[in-house]
Amino acid sequence: MGTPYFDYHALAPVIVLAAVALLALVVDFVWKDGGRRAVPQIAGIGMLLALIPVFTLAADGETRVMFGGAFVVDNYALAFAGFFLIVGYVAVLLSYDYIDEGDYYRGEYYVLLLTSVLGMVVLASARDLITIFVAIETVTLPTFVLAGWRKHDIRSNEAAIKYFIIGVLSSAVMLYGMSLIFGLSNSTLLSEIGSVAGGDNPALFAVAIFLTLAGFAFKVSAVPFHFWAPDTYQGAPLPVTAFLSVASKAAGFVAMLSVVALGFFASPNSWQPVIWVLAAASIVVGNLAALRQTDVVRMLAYSSVAQGGFILVPLAVSGDNDAARAGFQGVLVYILIYAAMNMGAFACVIANARRTRSTEIQSFSGLGRSNPAMAVVFTVFLFSLAGIPPFAGWFAKFVMFRAVLDAGTTAAVVLGVLAAVFSVVAFFYYGTVIRRMWFHAAVDLGDTGSPRVPGALVAAMAITTTVVVVIGVYPQLFAKIGDLAFRAT
Amino acid sequence: MWEQQVAFWVIAVAMAGAAIGVVRANNVVHAALFLIVVFAGSAAQYILLLAEFVAWVQVLIYIGAIIVLFLFGVMLTRAPMREERGKLDNSQRLASAVVALFLFGVLAVFLIDAFGGTELRFRDSMVEVGSAASVGDSIFRQFVIPFEVVSMLLLAALVGAVALARRD
Repeated sequence: MGTPYFDYHALAPVIVLAAVALLALVVDFVWKDGGRRAVPQIAGIGMLLALIPVFTLAADGETRVMFGGAFVVDNYALAFAGFFLIVGYVAVLLSYDYIDEGDYYRGEYYVLLLTSVLGMVVLASARDLITIFVAIETVTLPTFVLAGWRKHDIRSNEAAIKYFIIGVLSSAVMLYGMSLIFGLSNSTLLSEIGSVAGGDNPALFAVAIFLTLAGFAFKVSAVPFHFWAPDTYQGAPLPVTAFLSVASKAAGFVAMLSVVALGFFASPNSWQPVIWVLAAASIVVGNLAALRQTDVVRMLAYSSVAQGGFILVPLAVSGDNDAARAGFQGVLVYILIYAAMNMGAFACVIANARRTRSTEIQSFSGLGRSNPAMAVVFTVFLFSLAGIPPFAGWFAKFVMFRAVLDAGTTAAVVLGVLAAVFSVVAFFYYGTVIRRMWFHAAVDLGDTGSPRVPGALVAAMAITTTVVVVIGVYPQLFAKIGDLAFRAT
Repeated sequence: MWEQQVAFWVIAVAMAGAAIGVVRANNVVHAALFLIVVFAGSAAQYILLLAEFVAWVQVLIYIGAIIVLFLFGVMLTRAPMREERGKLDNSQRLASAVVALFLFGVLAVFLIDAFGGTELRFRDSMVEVGSAASVGDSIFRQFVIPFEVVSMLLLAALVGAVALARRD
């Protein structure tokens, strides 16, 4: 046995993120006063720096395999790595003023954020169970702490504790499932698990898959594993909520997608029904619960549960080889679009909460008159979430329905009909907020904050709006990314 | 191989009893002491499976570090150590018992179905696999990326714990 083969070019995004996280920690510690301003800049620039090797690797186009197939850098991995880094950058923008103005630790906040993004980038390339598990833990553990960052607010404490306990429980369930899979296939590599596919014990393999998927379902807050989401989203600091609802959720989906596509694919009877039920339940419960919310963060929490259901739809119908490509692409495209529109929606909620010190839906009343630009932007994101053209959301839904039609089975059609019906239900709750903004007079909420929208938030809104509008108008650009990502697999 | 069978069952029963003790104890310190028995039992099971290095790691880390940290945590936070009998009971314990028994039943049935009757045959050559040398080899060759990522994870855990616990 010689030294293992290291491809430093392929590892560069991860190495850059780790170096930046350590640098941020040291700068915050050594340079007390200046560090306050410097650390967020370092974190933001670090995310963009890590994007450079992602682009050079993509330009190179070569699939790089390390450690016998445990760590693979291909188009699929690069698409998600780039996506996670951009989301991380937007999260830094969202956090900048919020963390600066509150009574928080700044340096540590960005170090944790960077570590979480590092976990995601590793996850995108991980092709064996141990690497996947470690990467998921690296994604979620810093977010447990971030959810409780408002130390003196009891709701934030509750958010962190709930998220922590459920997160640890789901990790344990997932790990137990993975250990059974290892016991059956004698390997942690997804490719070898796929070729053995349970061997002589399909029944136990199915149980193991069920436990593993249940663990992922907690992470993506799919019904019936969603109970933590609304409370955690509401209690956590708002930028952290945005990060949780997009990035850590997307990480769960990426893990699910890798494991299903490469490991479990050969035995669709054991994973397809599980994902079908998760998708259907998430769509129904998420949308119905979102209808009754009066707080915009709780509404977005349930809406993200429902959107999670929509993301699972293509995966739930991709069981046979003909449908698989369209299905996996559908998941990928939906995740990327969902991230842009949900991040953007949270940017607007954060800006509005600065203005009114409230996250009640009624606090949006009259926004169309007092700040028309922001009202327009928020309307764009809500339209997009509802799936109304010409904003990106319609393309995500289109790709989802195309996957359903490609599959064409009864189960797929039933799920497609459910998705269609509840997409219409979703209009109502997104519409409530839009109506409030444009057709209601402002409500006097007493203590009001500053009406100015800070530059970092404007930048975050600009990035996400651009993505949502450009993809909505010219989706071919985006479809190409989906095509490229699945050329290799 | 009957000695190993006997040893397995003795240790397993002791572990299960201690595990019930952990959740039934009214005193946090007693629960931590029961947990030592569980951890020591799993270390002994590792030795039965020829995983010598893992067994010693279990003793050093879990018993040596984690339980001691538990006890220090109890001491330093000055949380009440003892609760009255019945006060720690959860109102939903019947439902959770049903779920737990159901899961136990399902898993037991499938595990016995899959592995029942399979016999482990140990050979001298297997001792090598559980040694520190071969574990170290696989950590620093095959699993070096997860290993390095775990170090970032632990750093984040440390930073986060200090930030949350620090009085300001």
